[in-house]
Amino acid sequence: MSNRILLVEDDLALGQQVVDTLSQAGFDPHWVQDGDAARGLEPDDYRVIVLDLMLPGTYGMDLLKRYRVKSEVPVLILSARDDTADKIRALKLGADDYVTKPFFPEELLARIQACLRRPNLVGTERIVVGTIQVDLKRREVITTEGALSLTPVEFEILALLARRKGSAVARDALVDAALDPSHDASRRTLDVHMSRLRSKLGSDAAQLETVWGIGYRLSEGS
Amino acid sequence: MKLRARLALTLGLATISLLVLLGWAQSRWHSRLRVDALAEAAVHRMDSGGRERCEADPERWPGPQGDRGAARHPGPSRHRFPRHRVFAYDAGFQSRNPDNPTFPPELAQQLAAGQDVASHRSPDERRTQVAVRMPWDQGPCTVLLLRAKGPPPWFSGAVLMPAFLVALAVILVALFSAGPIVRRVRQLTESVQKLGSNSEEPIRVEGNDEIAELGTAFEQSRQTIHAQLASLREREAALRNYIANTSHDVMLPLSVLQGHLVALQQRIEAGETLDAQAVVPSIEESQYLGSLLHNLNAAARLEAREGLAHRDPIDLNRLVDRVVDRHRPIAKRKRIALEVAVPEHTIEFPGDLTLLEQALGNIVQNAVRYNRAEGHVAVILDGVEDAWVLRVVDDGPGIAESDRDRVVEHSFRGTEARTRHPHGMGLGLHIASDVAQRHGLRLALSDTEGGGLTVELRFAKRDT
Repeated sequence: MSNRILLVEDDLALGQQVVDTLSQAGFDPHWVQDGDAARGLEPDDYRVIVLDLMLPGTYGMDLLKRYRVKSEVPVLILSARDDTADKIRALKLGADDYVTKPFFPEELLARIQACLRRPNLVGTERIVVGTIQVDLKRREVITTEGALSLTPVEFEILALLARRKGSAVARDALVDAALDPSHDASRRTLDVHMSRLRSKLGSDAAQLETVWGIGYRLSEGS
Repeated sequence: MKLRARLALTLGLATISLLVLLGWAQSRWHSRLRVDALAEAAVHRMDSGGRERCEADPERWPGPQGDRGAARHPGPSRHRFPRHRVFAYDAGFQSRNPDNPTFPPELAQQLAAGQDVASHRSPDERRTQVAVRMPWDQGPCTVLLLRAKGPPPWFSGAVLMPAFLVALAVILVALFSAGPIVRRVRQLTESVQKLGSNSEEPIRVEGNDEIAELGTAFEQSRQTIHAQLASLREREAALRNYIANTSHDVMLPLSVLQGHLVALQQRIEAGETLDAQAVVPSIEESQYLGSLLHNLNAAARLEAREGLAHRDPIDLNRLVDRVVDRHRPIAKRKRIALEVAVPEHTIEFPGDLTLLEQALGNIVQNAVRYNRAEGHVAVILDGVEDAWVLRVVDDGPGIAESDRDRVVEHSFRGTEARTRHPHGMGLGLHIASDVAQRHGLRLALSDTEGGGLTVELRFAKRDT
């Protein structure tokens, strides 16, 4: 699918900045500056729509309704007004997320990427994270060194991390998900399992990161 | 026209109208009585020998006559017949007496129609003529015509003069008795006029009548207007205060930002090679400015009302992600590791989206802003909808235990927070604390293991 992103923003300076940011990030931005021009566009031609709410000629909320009737494309709202009612209304009308002005370009990119990630891994049987493959159905883990022999606890830990690949997972969440509460379900026990898991992962262990203050993360690696 | 004059005039006119009406009715009544009396006089005269005399000498009967009325009314009444003159006619309304007047055709018409008594008043209503058919229908004295003066017409001075005198008396009485009413109305007017001059004086209410009710209504309106004015003034003062505080608070970081930029320019002009870190303070200050404005908005909203304006189900996982994404750019530039963990399942919580986001944003911002380079900040959401905890853990300088209670005290006073914590320090945590309290959340500050501050927002359904 193309990387086209529709930007509906009437402010010239901000619009140009967003276009530059999106272009540098590898997207193909299509910028329209008023509601009338945006109304005639086909939402399914874009991967994400970034929509300002205060537009000349129309109100962004009306455009959002129009797009939602035709398409499920993720819509990200740009909001200058710190108004809860507006945000809630936009979310209820089907907006996926919003960014409040002022924002850093990176923040906007992060939210766009979050929108694109949304079709999540639920229902996926096999997850690939860098060089590590986790088969949830067969309960198998394959790395560059071949299939690993993991204990059920170690597999649960790795499966949870793989499902949340790229995201930090709290120690407590791992303890709750993988350890048996009738035995020694503590953070210390978890650390022991993690240590064993790391040694079994061998050269791929670098993908299993410790996250300060939180717990662990399985990343794609370098 | 003044009330008193209007009242007197109205009463006077009403009295005159009433008396004239009564005069007219009385005149009509008298007129009828007179006709009856004259008819009776005619019969009486003929019964008492008049017929014989008339028929004996019809050419001269009744002879020379002035107005007669001396004959007494038969029976016990002492009433006298009215003075009158009498003339005799035959059945064809012809008189044998050449001195008699021609029989009035209007009376002839009435008798011809079958009436026994016919009457007529002259156009000036000063004379009454009555024609009476006698019980016999032969001879020269079959019909008698009687003429008498009066009764006085209703528009005569005799009727109108007493009416005017009575009316005058009524007007005088009205002028006199309207005095106290007019005085009270004037008092009420003065009190109401004082409302315009912004007087706090209540409207005096005397008595228990309609004027008192009017006064009470005015007093109630005064109190309502007074309360509304007070509320408007309060809002205006709050708005002025907000604008003044906002201007002041924004000027400070704006000055700092300008200072940073000028310093950068001077270093570039001096030929110094700058690395990317040189602009971090400026970026940080600009982010702080945006966040400050959001905080001032939040403070205004919190000060404006008790409780919450919105309670919508909020996806806390996304809220946490959004807040962390918002602060990641500045953390990255300060080389602070900002990490986040949310559970796989979504935790929904009913609340005010903007305020909750602002509260968490303030906690994360403080953790990043006051941390050292290469420091750490972790944001962790954990639990289920009925019991969850949101932790912001940092390894920064922390907050002295003695200061913590003051920072998270529940009562929120924006101005106080600002003056006590220059450069906005503390305002963010005050807002966070206030927002937490309104959402039924527990906000707790503790030391991070190994140094730093841990801020915890905790919700347990059984607590609320």
